[in-house]
Amino acid sequence: MIDEVELRRFESLALPHLPAAYNLARWLTRNDEDAQDVVQEAMLKAMRYFKSFRGENVRPWLLQIVRNACFSWLKENRHDEVASMADGHDDSLDLVAPASSEPHAVALRNADRAQINAALATLPVVYREVLVLRELEDMSYKEIAHIADVPIGTVMSRLARARGLMRQALAPPAAPALHATPLLRAVERPAAGGADR
Amino acid sequence: MRKQPDMQELNAFVDGELDLRRQLEIEALLVDDAALRAQVEGLRAVRDAIRGGADYHAVPAALQARVRDLVVVPPAAAERLSKPPSSARAAARRWFAWRPLAASFGTLAVLTVAVNLALLQRGHEERLGEEVVASHVRATLGGRLVDVQSSERHTVKPWLSSRLDFSPPVREPKVAGLVFEGARVDYLDGRPVAALVYKQGEHVVESFVWPASGNEGRAAVSLQRGFHLAHWHRRGMAHWLVSDLNPEEFASLVRAFEAADAAP
Repeated sequence: MIDEVELRRFESLALPHLPAAYNLARWLTRNDEDAQDVVQEAMLKAMRYFKSFRGENVRPWLLQIVRNACFSWLKENRHDEVASMADGHDDSLDLVAPASSEPHAVALRNADRAQINAALATLPVVYREVLVLRELEDMSYKEIAHIADVPIGTVMSRLARARGLMRQALAPPAAPALHATPLLRAVERPAAGGADR
Repeated sequence: MRKQPDMQELNAFVDGELDLRRQLEIEALLVDDAALRAQVEGLRAVRDAIRGGADYHAVPAALQARVRDLVVVPPAAAERLSKPPSSARAAARRWFAWRPLAASFGTLAVLTVAVNLALLQRGHEERLGEEVVASHVRATLGGRLVDVQSSERHTVKPWLSSRLDFSPPVREPKVAGLVFEGARVDYLDGRPVAALVYKQGEHVVESFVWPASGNEGRAAVSLQRGFHLAHWHRRGMAHWLVSDLNPEEFASLVRAFEAADAAP
């Protein structure tokens, strides 16, 4: 049972983070109605557990509860999404950076809102999660590790992979070809020159 | 020979999450390595694209109301309230039986309401003042004054706007020694509000802003638990300023804030 004093404390400390809670849930569930239900349930849970909260910073604590509520929801309603990622197997995969990211950088700077939202929304959920926490909530690696309940090393590898996937999604199809061309030429030219002589 | 960073390390570099020594090492490597610079540039472009382009989903009003309901009424009281009232007819019968007495109570009630209405506005502001001080103390003691640390108001304003259902005015009042530290979102008067944080020497000055109607006029100043408070309304926004500065400094600060606020 939660008493009046505790309730006021919860109201003043946890409620300011409702926007962050909803934004995270909305990105993870990708659906407004479901995000609302999940957040309400998570807030109720947070209220019940609030007595046991001993830290200084409510934000990561609350977001962890919201995050877990989202993943429970995903397991029940979007089983495929979570199942394929649960083992974290491909976390070790390191995306090899292209020799020059210049065309990518330009394409990325020109990407519009709709493209960016679509790219982020279609990322596998564990990558979407770290990006939302990092870029939209400005959480530190340590806080993200706490919220997602993984080691900091995993946060680092997931972020690197997530940004790599975003870059692939946002750079228009023409860009990889453009930047592959100089590489091809460098190989072909001496050969062609040799044949002429 | 410095070790070449891998992609993970470069990401951490862009996020400022490496230890200082390694951070500086990579900075030094970047000077001579154009390919590495391009990679970093690419990562920054991804980061900026998401930060500037991805939606920050605002809390729907319905959810806001549902969550409010969770905390407004304690569960026990909610149970009592939800019990069905006795039948209307029985209530009416009781009302007629007690009419003479009720009439005199009625007169008393009208008088009480009139007096209370006069006191209500005052009570509301006093309670708000308490909330403001509590919020200020919590932030100062908790060491989490700002969620976005920047002295650049063009960075802070969009950050706040994306997290609130209004766009708060972010002013830089002209006061010697006053430094803009950043902002956070706080919760006052039953709604999320903008908290702008400034420092005057060692003293923290906070300005809370949210949409509210009220009479525009000079700032009303008060003192609570050793903190100076000033509040005023301007262009549909309630402004509260709180600090532990001495009274003279606080007064000139209030004037500067009011002046900055009156400017277009």
